[in-house]
Amino acid sequence: MQTSAVNQTSIRKRYSLSHIIDKYFLVFVSWPSMLIMLAVTAIPFIITIILSFTNYDLILEDWKFIGFNNFRELVKDPQLPKILSNTAYLVIGSTVLTTVFGLGLAVLMNSTVRGTRTIRSMYMLPIMTAPIVVAFTWRAMFNNDAGWINWILGLLHLPKPLWLGDPHLAMPAILISDMWTGVAFQAILLLAGLMSVPIELKQAATTDGATSWQVFWHVTLPHIRPVLFVAILLRLIEAFRKFEGIQILTTGGPGIASTPLNLAIYDTGLYYDRVGYAASMGVLLIVIIAISVGLLFRFSPRQELGK
Amino acid sequence: MKNRRRLTEIFKSTLLIIGLIFVAIPFAWILLTAFKRPVDAASVPPVIFSPFTLDNFRSLKSDEYIGSLINSVIITVLATTTTLFFGVPAGYAFARGKFKGRKFFGAFLLFSRMVPPVIYIIPLFLFFHKLNLIGTFSGLTLAYLTGLLPFTVWMSASYFQDIPTELEEAGRIDGCNRIQAFVLIALPLAMPGIISVGLLICIAAWSEYFIPMLLGGPTTSPATVGIVNFIGVDSINWGAMCAGALTLVIPVFILTLLAQRGLLSGLTAGAIKG
Repeated sequence: MQTSAVNQTSIRKRYSLSHIIDKYFLVFVSWPSMLIMLAVTAIPFIITIILSFTNYDLILEDWKFIGFNNFRELVKDPQLPKILSNTAYLVIGSTVLTTVFGLGLAVLMNSTVRGTRTIRSMYMLPIMTAPIVVAFTWRAMFNNDAGWINWILGLLHLPKPLWLGDPHLAMPAILISDMWTGVAFQAILLLAGLMSVPIELKQAATTDGATSWQVFWHVTLPHIRPVLFVAILLRLIEAFRKFEGIQILTTGGPGIASTPLNLAIYDTGLYYDRVGYAASMGVLLIVIIAISVGLLFRFSPRQELGK
Repeated sequence: MKNRRRLTEIFKSTLLIIGLIFVAIPFAWILLTAFKRPVDAASVPPVIFSPFTLDNFRSLKSDEYIGSLINSVIITVLATTTTLFFGVPAGYAFARGKFKGRKFFGAFLLFSRMVPPVIYIIPLFLFFHKLNLIGTFSGLTLAYLTGLLPFTVWMSASYFQDIPTELEEAGRIDGCNRIQAFVLIALPLAMPGIISVGLLICIAAWSEYFIPMLLGGPTTSPATVGIVNFIGVDSINWGAMCAGALTLVIPVFILTLLAQRGLLSGLTAGAIKG
């Protein structure tokens, strides 16, 4: 009698609601998020791949599978080389410039004792400014006649270029506006890394006779390598998706002089309604991003791969 | 020796000040233009100081801009609360380990942060069109989750990882079930981190342009989209645009100055911990 009563309570316990909740708690709390992400990212991603094999058009809405035709057309597209070189220019330019200047700025902020916190909070403001505001502010800065940049160049008796209307200067102008937020972002991240370097380590190196340059190169830099890696990765991803800073500044022009792949996909799919062809460009973009990130991981120290 | 150190100190300060000027100039332009007479906003050569006026803010009031500003508040609140509601518990599960699909979930989180939104937006546009979700707040909230949710799960997981599991185990021995252990023990301990994640996604939602530009409608477009209406066919109303920019930027700046520490930890935690 007694044993069966015990059994019954343990059975009841095993199948009681609270026990089930306990057992599957982590599943309950994680799967809703997972399902949402499947719905809004994974499924659209797969649909994009499928669309790349169709001639889907927003206006006609009549479509069929056309095999690799989009990709064949893409390879022969006379605009593709320019779009790809713009993408490379933007991504490499933005990542390298913001990281180099950001690291310099972070070192400066780390080495001055006074006012670091105030200065740092001022450098946070560009990061917190809405990209759309940044974009049209720089459009105004680069304005031919009324813009402050040409106004200052004029005061210095220097030539006043067209900036956004000049095919050779449109991309550099985009990079300059990109650096305004990008350098601040990298500096804030890298400063956090620099502040985590133990001061004893640097002092020990200095006592051993290392110059401040040697200390930076052999002690500080190896120590912040993981942070540097993440900062570069984040900037790379950011550059591939840059939108407002190009659309508002130059609308990709003049012509396609400042159109990277990201903007070309948007234009082709939602402006010229050629969704299928845009999707094939999207697949190309994913491949390029995957290769770039893969390369970055390859040249990074092993320990960062863990997580 | 002492002189030289003094010199480098001056050199460093000069560089920092040059950097700050570079940061400040665009803000100065926004501030000055917002209070300029509309005639002076685009004059050649630029008029730096013009008689102080609130005309530009008045034109915001007469325009639809105020409505779009209200939409911004609605979308930001909806997107932030929804993201936190789903993302924080998932971050907890992710930090605490074993459940079905964890590996896939982790790889997927990383992956979804790398793919540009333009890849998702075209299929979402087609879906939303079929489901009549274009121009609705629920559709926008769902679309905002594409970027905000992975970030929130990732970041809150890193904050939960810092909390020793022993505390929850002790609570469990004292009779808590898992829900109680999460809500009463882990959540309060991770609260500072969750607040900084919340602030960051709040600012991100407030600043979002690409998604509402495509999926928003006339009654739901936020201020980031509304502000672009000041770009006309042949001229730009710079004055009104800058007044609008101030309404977008000032709330965020106040938040930044008030919660600097939290925001900083949110921005850097992901990088420092990898």
